Amino acid sequence: MNEKVKSLISRTLEIPKDSLNDKTNLVKDLELESLDLVDLVVAFEEEFGVEILDKDIKNLQTVEDIVNYIESRNA
Amino acid sequence: MLKLYIEKDVSSKVLLKKVLKENNIDEEIIYNDYGKPYLKSNEIYFNISHKDNYTVLVTSKKEVGIDIEKITYNERILNKIANDEEKKLIKNAEDFTKLWVKKESYVKYLGMGLSYGLKNVDTLKLKKYQIKKYQDYYIAIYGDEVKEV
Repeated sequence: MNEKVKSLISRTLEIPKDSLNDKTNLVKDLELESLDLVDLVVAFEEEFGVEILDKDIKNLQTVEDIVNYIESRNA
Repeated sequence: MLKLYIEKDVSSKVLLKKVLKENNIDEEIIYNDYGKPYLKSNEIYFNISHKDNYTVLVTSKKEVGIDIEKITYNERILNKIANDEEKKLIKNAEDFTKLWVKKESYVKYLGMGLSYGLKNVDTLKLKKYQIKKYQDYYIAIYGDEVKEV
């Protein structure tokens, strides 16, 4: 799952996959702004078939957070 | 009174420091549960947004939110954030960007950001906003001090 999430972030944001690790922070490290963040949310929803709730977006700060969230929503 | 600052190649932190100094304010910044910054005294309200090399900051005597975005179009984001009535009105990148900054400035005014849900913001009902085109960008300000449109 970690690799899939990193691949999707890499494709969506057009950044090298090897620049990402589990602790990469979307806002602090990648300096994502809201538009990119929403784009990423939609990409995750489409790829993994989960709905990311608006109230949860602020908790999805790192690659690891996203992996855990998707796994918990799919459980 | 509303005051808008637009700066290039200046970080949010540096711009805020400059504006507070200009207003003779030297006090602690606190954050709400969603990360919106406030002055402890609420002597003035402010909000910040940045895109590419630009940072914009608005000050007001009342609650306020601001957003800047480069003119762009993204169909899947449109489907995520717009209701059916809004979608009918979006014909091009300018329309999309104006819709985006209006929604963003409103959720930032509320102090909840994306947690509020951009689809829950019906821009056709918003009244207290100003929108401004600046080069290839749109800037929206939503606030209690903004004259109703």
